[in-house]
Amino acid sequence: MKEFLKNTWKHRAHVVMALPAFLILFFIMYVPMAGLVMAFKSFDYSKGIWGSPWNGLENFKFLLTSKATFLSITKNTLFYYFVFTALGTFLNVVLAVAIDQCVFKKASRAMQTIMIIPVFISYAAVQFIVYAFISSDTGILTNTFGLTTRFYSTPAAWPWILTIVKIWNSVGYGSVLYMSVLAGIDTELYEAAEIDGANRWQKIWHITLPALIPMITVMLLLSVGSIMRSDTGLFYQVTRNSGILYPTTQVIDSYVLNAIFKNSNFGFTAATSFFQSVVGLVMMLLANGLVRKISPENSLF
Amino acid sequence: MSKKKGNADLAPSRRERAGIGQYILGFCLLLYTLFCALPVILVFIAAFTDEQAINQNGFSFFPEKWSMAGMNMVLKYGKQLLTSYGITILVTVGGTFLGLLVMSMFAYSISRKGFKLAGFLSIYLLIPMLFNGGQLSGYVIFTRYYHLKDSLWLLVLPLCVSTMNVIILRTFIVNSIPSELMEAAKIDGAGEYRTFFQITLPLMKPSLAAVGFMMATAYWNDWQNALLYIASDSKKPLQLLLVNIQKSIEFLLNNNNVPAAARAAMGGNIPQYSSTMATVIVVIGPIMVAYPFFQKYFVKGLTVGSVKG
Repeated sequence: MKEFLKNTWKHRAHVVMALPAFLILFFIMYVPMAGLVMAFKSFDYSKGIWGSPWNGLENFKFLLTSKATFLSITKNTLFYYFVFTALGTFLNVVLAVAIDQCVFKKASRAMQTIMIIPVFISYAAVQFIVYAFISSDTGILTNTFGLTTRFYSTPAAWPWILTIVKIWNSVGYGSVLYMSVLAGIDTELYEAAEIDGANRWQKIWHITLPALIPMITVMLLLSVGSIMRSDTGLFYQVTRNSGILYPTTQVIDSYVLNAIFKNSNFGFTAATSFFQSVVGLVMMLLANGLVRKISPENSLF
Repeated sequence: MSKKKGNADLAPSRRERAGIGQYILGFCLLLYTLFCALPVILVFIAAFTDEQAINQNGFSFFPEKWSMAGMNMVLKYGKQLLTSYGITILVTVGGTFLGLLVMSMFAYSISRKGFKLAGFLSIYLLIPMLFNGGQLSGYVIFTRYYHLKDSLWLLVLPLCVSTMNVIILRTFIVNSIPSELMEAAKIDGAGEYRTFFQITLPLMKPSLAAVGFMMATAYWNDWQNALLYIASDSKKPLQLLLVNIQKSIEFLLNNNNVPAAARAAMGGNIPQYSSTMATVIVVIGPIMVAYPFFQKYFVKGLTVGSVKG
């Protein structure tokens, strides 16, 4: 212990440098964690979190009695998480390998520049672009292609729409991380494989993809912790927060956002938030434990 | 066997291998590029399309009639537009610099060998990624206990320090900056702070540029914190302008209870669609312009390792 203090004193400059970020994390991330106790309270904004009376598991009972909403938002959250993660990772890798393989270097770099652009457009703006395509009176799909579906009152269409928007938005940028790995592969490996008679596909399969596995693992691990969280803008803005579409588009995060704006259902919302945080934690620990067992060098901690 | 060797001799020049497969690949990439670009192009076309043409034929890539009405409408936001630009730029620039500074100092500290507290700090950094209080709890804490409702700090601080970005910076320090440099500086008598600010920080440029640009984008595009916390017009950032002005235009158009005088005050018939798209351009434009200057750092500066060190 004395040695530890001595070491810390010796490194006091490092302690000072770590302090600002430490404090910001403390006030922005750590204090709200304690706020989760409101899941066990009958919350009243005017009394505050600590002043509101305890009500045990009342909120969770409420969660079960109105389970239609709870199940629906949980189901949607998980559904989109799996679709976006699986499809997104797959397309990120395909795109990164495709750009890497393309011999027209200048053209592919220019194309990559364009592919990344959508990630910089906020969902508050994206909703108007989506509207321009699918609105039933002025949309391009209606007027140019003659589609008659009224998308903004057809919940069944939205898993497709949101998936397309998400891919459009994120795949170009997502592939950059994988490209940074591909840029680091030793070209001698490819040359050696060529001498051994490997064709292009064999090289991709035996050299390129294995090199990407650690990055894929890290990215998947990082995403598991947010399994119960969503890209709120996508579900809140792009759907125009339309009640008709809730059955297929409302996720936990957009539900909570609505609850805050309406200043209502705090008990239910607090219980849901608690559930959301705990599931995220458990999933992350499980996934990291699993990775640590299979290939320790790729685990996050 | 000899044939394969012949192939190997050709290997250095990649151009010679541009067969039919390469053209198919290039074509597929081109298709995906169009998929990404066309929606953005549509915004620019629609902003300059005549409102009548949109109402009759819908949005189109080849409009019948062009018009500046949408852009003129945007100028009518007047002072609010300038205020919002000011707020967004202030928050984006201030937040990005503050975030980069505190995060790179933190990343540097936890990457020091022999610093025993670093283990604890790494775990402290990691926990918010595993577990967090969520939106509702954050909302109550920030507004009721910190009394920061309607304060610009709530636009800056929540996006300021992120675990992921610290990991990226730390990975860059460990992998790309030789520790001999720092040791040499120390032998030459530079203190810890000087070593960091004069040796390490300048060398972190690629990762600072990549992380910084992503942060700047996150700040620029943040509508959620603004919608939750900002109430007064003098503090409304651009994104909120986009969300709100559209709401008010729609409200005026769809609500028959609004007296005709009020509608006339809005300028007679409002070029709803084209002015919306013009607003979108105003909001996303600066990021589009800045982005190409930062792109070269993306591949170099963004590498993720793990925190265990």
